[in-house]
Amino acid sequence: MRYQTSRQWMITHEWMVKPMQQKEWIEKQGILVWLSEVFSALGTGLYLIAIFVDSWWGALAGYLIVMLLKLPLHLIYLGKPLRFWRTMPPFSGAWRTSWIARGVVFTVLFSMFGFAQLITSYILGSDFLASGQAHNMVYFADVILKVVAGFFVILTGIYCGFMMSYCKSVPFWNTGILPIVILNAGIADGLALVMGIGLLAGGVGVYGPEYFHNLEYASRIVLGVNAVLLGTYLMNASYQSSTAELSVKELLVGRVAIIFWLGIVLFGIIMPLAISFISMFTGDVTTILLVAAIIGHTAGAFALKYCILKVGIYKPILPKSLVF
Amino acid sequence: MRWGMVIDLTKCTRCHACVAACRIEHFLPLHVTWPRLLALETDAGGKPELTTFPVRCNQCKDAPCVKVCPTEATTQRPDGIVVIDPNKCIGCRYCVIACPYQNRNFLSKEKDPGYFPGYELTGFEKKGKKLYPHQVGTTEKCNFCVERIDAGMEKGLIPGKDRDATPACVNICQARAMTFGNLDDPDSNVSVLIRDRKGFTLQPEYGTEPSVYYVDGRIGGKESNKAPLHAQTGSNMQHLSSVDSDAKKRFDGLA
Repeated sequence: MRYQTSRQWMITHEWMVKPMQQKEWIEKQGILVWLSEVFSALGTGLYLIAIFVDSWWGALAGYLIVMLLKLPLHLIYLGKPLRFWRTMPPFSGAWRTSWIARGVVFTVLFSMFGFAQLITSYILGSDFLASGQAHNMVYFADVILKVVAGFFVILTGIYCGFMMSYCKSVPFWNTGILPIVILNAGIADGLALVMGIGLLAGGVGVYGPEYFHNLEYASRIVLGVNAVLLGTYLMNASYQSSTAELSVKELLVGRVAIIFWLGIVLFGIIMPLAISFISMFTGDVTTILLVAAIIGHTAGAFALKYCILKVGIYKPILPKSLVF
Repeated sequence: MRWGMVIDLTKCTRCHACVAACRIEHFLPLHVTWPRLLALETDAGGKPELTTFPVRCNQCKDAPCVKVCPTEATTQRPDGIVVIDPNKCIGCRYCVIACPYQNRNFLSKEKDPGYFPGYELTGFEKKGKKLYPHQVGTTEKCNFCVERIDAGMEKGLIPGKDRDATPACVNICQARAMTFGNLDDPDSNVSVLIRDRKGFTLQPEYGTEPSVYYVDGRIGGKESNKAPLHAQTGSNMQHLSSVDSDAKKRFDGLA
């Protein structure tokens, strides 16, 4: 590397000739973006899994996480939050190219269909309607709403990944696998949180506590896929470009290595997987271990988003031949 | 028509006048700079060189910032200039992240404390806030002095030739290192410079087609484009030596 140091009297913007970390979305006010993305993954993952296992409380919790945590945090981050309506059609046609605008559209649609689905599911779960034509109609509406809300919740969960992967300026993010990593991690978190809500409610949806085994089984598969995807993502980035390779090094042995190894690998993957395997062999899982697995999962969700945002490094502006 | 700029790196004296001119022209807040001067020192085989790159928004033909803007606050005019409507910007900073050239500024409160923090605004600052209001919480960048271009063209002036229709940084450059003109016209001053001196853009691999080109002695590759090696050392203010023969003699004498 031929690059040395700039002269003291010419240090202005010398940083632009080095690979520099992005700060807008992770430092100072940018922390709100990180938290918003975490709650986006947790909320959408939880809602998606909850509607699959008929857990009304889980779906409600997922919906509320998205509406009361993800959305407000993202809005507070904006420089001009009161103008957020400008992102939505018909005020703007930006959804055609902008992933943030698309994300807003997806979230708004999810909020509408999700809300309607929560109401239909609540009606079905209560004693309002006796079996009959009205009951069948609500049941049919509930199924349709679950499909539609489920579709939009997947889009709400995955758009953050696409938003980042679109940025050519940050080579570590600029890969098609990132949205899949983020979506799959969200599903894994959703599974864990559904189990947590099941613990509190004394069963998962209409099923009893014995249903935990099914969730545990699904969790094992999703966690395994998660580990493979994450490994593939990092391996791919390490030979994608020198800047992305630098991001991987920062992640594995750099400043955020401790968060990566402890938060993502140990708490987010190894610990829940180990607990899951214990339950497979013993045939039973204690509440304490289950709670530990859920906490580990959630810690992993926070760590994953933090690490990905933190090691987003810009490619230097000047021609490589001149700088290196 | 597509406005563009060519910057001759062999002429830049790194005087920062372009940065200052922009600051005055747009009444920029204290910690905001639209054009920047990158400085780096390289040492190839014991021959240290100080190189500067004046950079600003590249007004890319295929601008990522236009595509990512969620409110269509960032748009591209028919003449290729990328402009931001501060009344539409929501301050999401997606464009700041997506710009491969890191040429966008988010104007936060901390970046606009006034030129004398803790004191009342000066008359100049008060006037500036009326003439060129900057909205805290929005994103800003170089706009090729679009207001000068528009006003000048209304009077029938030609940007790049007539000062009143030309960006302030181009006007102020004492070494005449910057040239402004129409990239779509093959006979324009900028097109000729790019063609004859092998103009290059920053990070062409992104495919954004920047409208700011650079020419220099090395990347252009032509031997005749090269400034004298001894003049390329940091201690000799190398680029002045190629301004004209007079200056060349003077700085050759100093070497």
